[in-house]
Amino acid sequence: MAESSKKRRRTNTDDLPFKNKLKPDSTILQILKDFSTSSSSSSSSSKALTLQDLSLPFSCREVSDLSLSSVQSIIESLVLRIAHSILSGNGFAFDVPSRSATNQFYVPELDRIVLKDKSSLRPFANISTVRKSAITARILQLVHQLCIKGIHVTKRDLFYTDVKLFQDQIQSDTVLDDVSCMLGCTRSSLNVVAAEKGVVVGRLIFSDNGDMIDCTKMGMGGKAIPPNIDRVGDMQSDALFILLVEKDAAYMRLAEDRFYNRFPCIIVTAKGQPDVATRLFLKKMKMELKLPVLALVDSDPYGLKILSVYGCGSKNMSYDSANLTTPDIKWLGVRPSDLDKYKIPEQCRLPMTEQDIKTGKDLLEEDFVKKNPGWVEELTLMVKTKQKAEIQALSTFGFQYLSEVYLPLKLQQKDWL
Amino acid sequence: MDSSESPTETKKTKSKTPRKNKETVLKQKSPAEFFAENKNIAGFDNPGKSLYTTVRELVENSLDSAESISELPVVEITIEEINKSKFNSMIGLIDCERVDAELYDDYETEKAREKRLAKEARAQEIQAKNAALGKKVKETPASKGIRGRGEASFYRVICKDNGKGMPHDDIPNMFGRVLSGTKYGLKQTRGKFGLGAKMALIWSKMSTGLPIEISSSMRNQSYISFCRLDIDIHKNIPHVHVNEKRENKERWHGAEIQVVIEGNWTTYRSKILHYMRQMAVITPYAQFLFKFVSDAPEKNVTIRFSRRTDVMPPVPLETKHHPSSVDLLLIKRLIAETSKQNLLQFLQHEFVNISKSHAERLIGEMGPDFSPKMALKSLTPQQLVRIHQLFRQAKFDDPNGHCLSPAGEYNLRLGIIKELHPDMVATYSGSAQVFEGHPFIVEAGVSIGGKNVKQGLNIFRFANRIPLLFEQGADVVTRTALKRINWSSYKINQLQDKIGIFVSIVSTKIPFKGTGKEYIGDDITEIASAVKYSIQQCCIQLKSKIVKKMQAREQQERKRNLSKYIPDATGAVYNVLKDMAETQLHASKKFRYGDDDGELLRKVYENLITKETLSEKLAKHVEQVDYEMALEYATQSGVSEEPREAIYIQPLETENKIIDLHSPFFVFRMFY
Repeated sequence: MAESSKKRRRTNTDDLPFKNKLKPDSTILQILKDFSTSSSSSSSSSKALTLQDLSLPFSCREVSDLSLSSVQSIIESLVLRIAHSILSGNGFAFDVPSRSATNQFYVPELDRIVLKDKSSLRPFANISTVRKSAITARILQLVHQLCIKGIHVTKRDLFYTDVKLFQDQIQSDTVLDDVSCMLGCTRSSLNVVAAEKGVVVGRLIFSDNGDMIDCTKMGMGGKAIPPNIDRVGDMQSDALFILLVEKDAAYMRLAEDRFYNRFPCIIVTAKGQPDVATRLFLKKMKMELKLPVLALVDSDPYGLKILSVYGCGSKNMSYDSANLTTPDIKWLGVRPSDLDKYKIPEQCRLPMTEQDIKTGKDLLEEDFVKKNPGWVEELTLMVKTKQKAEIQALSTFGFQYLSEVYLPLKLQQKDWL
Repeated sequence: MDSSESPTETKKTKSKTPRKNKETVLKQKSPAEFFAENKNIAGFDNPGKSLYTTVRELVENSLDSAESISELPVVEITIEEINKSKFNSMIGLIDCERVDAELYDDYETEKAREKRLAKEARAQEIQAKNAALGKKVKETPASKGIRGRGEASFYRVICKDNGKGMPHDDIPNMFGRVLSGTKYGLKQTRGKFGLGAKMALIWSKMSTGLPIEISSSMRNQSYISFCRLDIDIHKNIPHVHVNEKRENKERWHGAEIQVVIEGNWTTYRSKILHYMRQMAVITPYAQFLFKFVSDAPEKNVTIRFSRRTDVMPPVPLETKHHPSSVDLLLIKRLIAETSKQNLLQFLQHEFVNISKSHAERLIGEMGPDFSPKMALKSLTPQQLVRIHQLFRQAKFDDPNGHCLSPAGEYNLRLGIIKELHPDMVATYSGSAQVFEGHPFIVEAGVSIGGKNVKQGLNIFRFANRIPLLFEQGADVVTRTALKRINWSSYKINQLQDKIGIFVSIVSTKIPFKGTGKEYIGDDITEIASAVKYSIQQCCIQLKSKIVKKMQAREQQERKRNLSKYIPDATGAVYNVLKDMAETQLHASKKFRYGDDDGELLRKVYENLITKETLSEKLAKHVEQVDYEMALEYATQSGVSEEPREAIYIQPLETENKIIDLHSPFFVFRMFY
């Protein structure tokens, strides 16, 4: 039964466009193997640069992973300073690093956004900052408790401890980022995590809190990426590359078709904008397994933006960009040039809105786009044609076109930027 | 019917029996008939609106009449409800009791009755339950009887003014002939069609059949003309019942008009009251007395809109046409009416903005067939077209706004303050601008707060100094206020604040849209941008006031807002300290803290420093900061928020003893 259905599938897909261009899987596998070894050797040869290696004209703020006890002692000394200040009748103020856009800087050598060291005073006795400084004090106290008890909570938990003060979760989340920036530690060191969002499936085995997980045996849904990366370890894999997928739908198609068995790979998605956990996980995979990362995103400005968040970091979390960014991600598809190359019909393309075009033009001004001439070319084409398309546009040739033809052909032609 | 009949006879029979393919017969319709059939054009769509339009036509006539003799207007409007039996006795009809009840539309069948009774019983049950539970019970409206179609309500509308009055012999024609009037000509007028009271008369004839009654007297006239008349709609001529002279003891001048019409007070009450209120805003120099009288005393309304100023806008002047606003027909009419003989004089004197030399240049441009001295009567139709073409293509100076009579910033402001009592108001009067050869002036006022003002935008529109109440949605003012003004940039909250927006547009020709002439379209860029600019100018004035007010409020509330967060902050700090103190002393670890810190933690542990200690200290700090800020604010803005005005009080004793001490810079005057 399974045999026959497989056969039917094969015969049905024979007439798919460009199917005839595909070489046998073994040839493609050889191409991938060469690519994988060459990229791993190149990444191992060039030692990762750090901020200290560069002599930048300004100082930058970077955070590091700290142990619970050191986070606790930093909070305690800060609170003691505040208590003294209050008791001596001077009120108190926090010195919070500014995370505004003007304080961000893209470092081409590192290929990521870093935070400059500008900071602003947050005094209690000022009508515009009183609220924020009260919230900051409260968050510090809550994190201090987490440190004493040694437990993890989610951002949502944190918000619910004092809804009356925080009012909505955006406020407590923002201050939480401020606090981790101020203390000089990563957000995960504060023992506050975001809810699980990302999933992984494919040729990967790792330990989560001591349990060994085999991601080929996780069914169709895959394994949820654990929110605290510190309990993940012992990564092993025979994959040739990591495939980063923007959309849940495309991820499901690849997982169901067991794409990772045809071409050994690890498939990851964060279902849209990536969360911290997924970014940390990707970084860890890249560092430990030394695999090339290929990205499959929508052909619109937001697809590229998501790619850039994986690659160079978001402005909101730029203080921790060293830990969160994965360098050297290749843009596999769907690229604006693919729309014509794969003859995607007009009815599957969408016209870009004013907002889309503006975002696209803004992206063209960004340094992380400019450093890659191929990306600039593709983005210019997108803005010029004013057309966008989602990964799903490929389904116009059949639901399995993505896994049967598009991706194999792309890999065979080494068509990534 | 025999088939051998002659064709003429067939025609005859055909016209007798009404059929679809009836031969068209050329009929003539009098203007009165036209308006009777299309009464919605003049605002008589339904009984309710007819009542409203009657009131406004009469009020506007009264204002025009008083203003034309520079008399401060005093207008009294009375609407008297007339019940059915009274109405029947007025027209001499005896009340008829219903005999065959089932004949009527509102007859209640047995089934419907059962249904209604069951529903009422249920409602009573619920009410009783609610009352037993002690809930607040809303007064359920008494079940209203179904109002039948025939149940019309009738009203007597009386409007009395102190205006010019009318010459005794002209009265029948002024009321009994549609499209005859004194207000035709190119100038800013209130009236919309020159129909005025005539439409009210037609409506009264259609709905009640009762005549109109007019009393009028002119200045220094020893008698009062009294006239009772109705209109012959088919002939468009007055039908006079009585026209007599009566004694004028009080030397009153003005007019009093009484008309009995069908109407609907219940549904149009608020519109009529709004109209009166807005009229009072735009004409604060007039005094209005509005009364509604009915048999039920609780329904009666009496509102007096008192006069607040003696300053009246000038009477609008009649002006000549602007060359770019005329059409071919108008040129022909002007030629027919003018006393001028030749083309040069015609151009020079019958239009604005054409000087003699300009006229000569224009004639030169018209072509070789034209000469300045050529007689007007000799112009061929082709030549007229040429003149028209040139008028449209050539450039002329814009007409100035001297012929217009805007309400004036002073009056607008007064009117707003008088009727709305706002917290703040700003007004702006633009300069004259031009649309299609007609000058227009936009004036605007924006108010914040006030009584009887809803939250959000309250838009008051005026065109040629009359309020526009209907079809607000598409109007240029509404659109501008809603879409093109960024209220938040003027520190005005579009949803929360009580904002009054008053825009008055005056022009020799208001470019109304729609049949009802109730709104000005949004598609005229000149007017739209002028409206926007005027509203913005008001907002700019308001912004500085609002910012000052907000600063003052911030001053007052700063301490409270800061103190609000003291428990949160100190609570957080104290809890960390407490945890630290406990772990430190319990675990007896290596002493991690310096002397000061150790001392502090010990005090916390021994309850020498508590949350209250921290709160007190922080509160003191807040107080100090607040004091410093208040001091700074006071030095920056001056002690009092508003500049003080000098008041001079005369001593009661007439004898003034003063000594002036002179110095080079000032004079010091002492009273003693």
